Amino acid sequence: MSELQDLTAAVEKGNRKEATRLTQVLLDAGMPPLDIVESGLVPAMSNVGEKFKKNEVFVPEMLIAARAMKEAMAMIQPLLTAAGIKPKYTAVIGTVQGDLHDIGKNLVAMMLKGANFNVIDVGVNVAPEKFLAAAKENNAHLVGLSALLTTTMPAMKTTVDAFREAGVQTKIMIGGAPITQQFANEIGADGYSPDAASAVDLAQTLVA
Amino acid sequence: MERPYYLNLAASGLRMPIGTHLVLHQHENPEAILLNGRQLGAVVEEAAIQFKAPMAVPVMDLKLEKEALLSARGIPAADIESYHFAEAPETGWKIATTPRMSATCEAIRHIAQNTSLLPVGIGIGPFSLMTKLISDPITPVFLAGPGSTADEDSEVRLVESTLALGLSAILTYLQAQIAAGAKAIILCEPAANKVYFSPNQLAESYEIFDRYVMEPNRKIKALLDQNGVDLIFHDCGELEDEMIRRFATLDPAMMSLGSSRKLWEDAALVPDTTVLFGNLPTKKFYSDALVTVDDVKRLSDELTCRMQATGHPFILGSECDVLSVPGAQETIKAKVEAFLA
Repeated sequence: MSELQDLTAAVEKGNRKEATRLTQVLLDAGMPPLDIVESGLVPAMSNVGEKFKKNEVFVPEMLIAARAMKEAMAMIQPLLTAAGIKPKYTAVIGTVQGDLHDIGKNLVAMMLKGANFNVIDVGVNVAPEKFLAAAKENNAHLVGLSALLTTTMPAMKTTVDAFREAGVQTKIMIGGAPITQQFANEIGADGYSPDAASAVDLAQTLVA
Repeated sequence: MERPYYLNLAASGLRMPIGTHLVLHQHENPEAILLNGRQLGAVVEEAAIQFKAPMAVPVMDLKLEKEALLSARGIPAADIESYHFAEAPETGWKIATTPRMSATCEAIRHIAQNTSLLPVGIGIGPFSLMTKLISDPITPVFLAGPGSTADEDSEVRLVESTLALGLSAILTYLQAQIAAGAKAIILCEPAANKVYFSPNQLAESYEIFDRYVMEPNRKIKALLDQNGVDLIFHDCGELEDEMIRRFATLDPAMMSLGSSRKLWEDAALVPDTTVLFGNLPTKKFYSDALVTVDDVKRLSDELTCRMQATGHPFILGSECDVLSVPGAQETIKAKVEAFLA
């Protein structure tokens, strides 16, 4: 269906009006909502992620694409909910205690939503116990920790420790400008991602 | 100061970090010191002496202007760090310096009156402050690029009003630091980078970058010029070459860039009257797995050698404020000492 391809293209370009118009066209044509998500919206954000990895698009383009997808999803979500259809995986994501930076965290959250994860964004400056509570409450398959500052990196270890001491074995991935795979290994995190697009690949690997 | 002051420092082979945060955290109760101008002045002086630097630089804390702005708005202190404007605020507020700002000014006054060090002030740039005042600054900046105006788009209006409001808070703080005796100002504009401005969009036009970054910074530069105060421009973000060319039009005495830049290539983008400063990867100094002491020595030698080859005035230094990381203070300090040696 060409409208589906057009929807993918509209989301990729961040064209909100066109994305919502085409979503309505597809719904009116009787396409199942989940098919619109999986065959129209998810591929769009996947394409954007691939282009981001290759430096063909940048953060602003990712954000406006995610915004277009969000508006399309706002039309579809009530239908999915009414049909009892939920995303297969849930991720809790936030910036660790002491750190107020949210761009990286927001990008990963958007990309995970774009890959049809249920994302619980617990915000910035998040204490370990809040991450733990959110993960338990939502039966999270994955927890994402973000930090921009070298001074707040130790809070990642504190958070990982809190999960392990509580006996919660939810997969934990970390990221942020000063973070490395080495650091992830040192603190016992399950994975590290250098950018938001790669974070989706990592998340899918960790929950598989 | 006269421009030859900086050029002579560069010619002398000076090496120095921006390292007051590191020294501050060698003391007990650093948070209390930040509120005590006399003690803070002593720490700023101590940092300069410890690192054999002729400039006395306060802690690079880029949250102070937001605190001053939102305190004037009556936002409770506990909510300030996470507060974002949801709609365009009116302008014309009376913004007062906060206790932290007053302590920094007192520290500058101590340096100016009691030492032979160059008293340096510090502040956030207007664009970077704006990014802290709204929850999503990136999207409206991008949308303003192709021509969305404040009249048409409420998010663009939010960007432009918070930019104007932030500039007034910045000017208030800079005027206070200048009155305290600052002879140079480090203006930190780390958000003016490729995260906030798409290179794809900039390839078509720099109009939005000029409007949101350069124009407000020119107003600050005018204030400094009126008072005979030098500009030290700092941006450790990921940059395009053209961004650096534009920053250079502010005629800074020094330009401090992040470690992602090759300064020996940037030398061609900046006039010979602007000293390039940096740009060792000090953000990685906390980890021996990322950078060893030997790496620091090798990088220092390589950078010094390459910059000598360009003939551009250069001071070897940190890429940003060298932050004290809990548990890694000695590791960081050893690497700072390695590049100063």
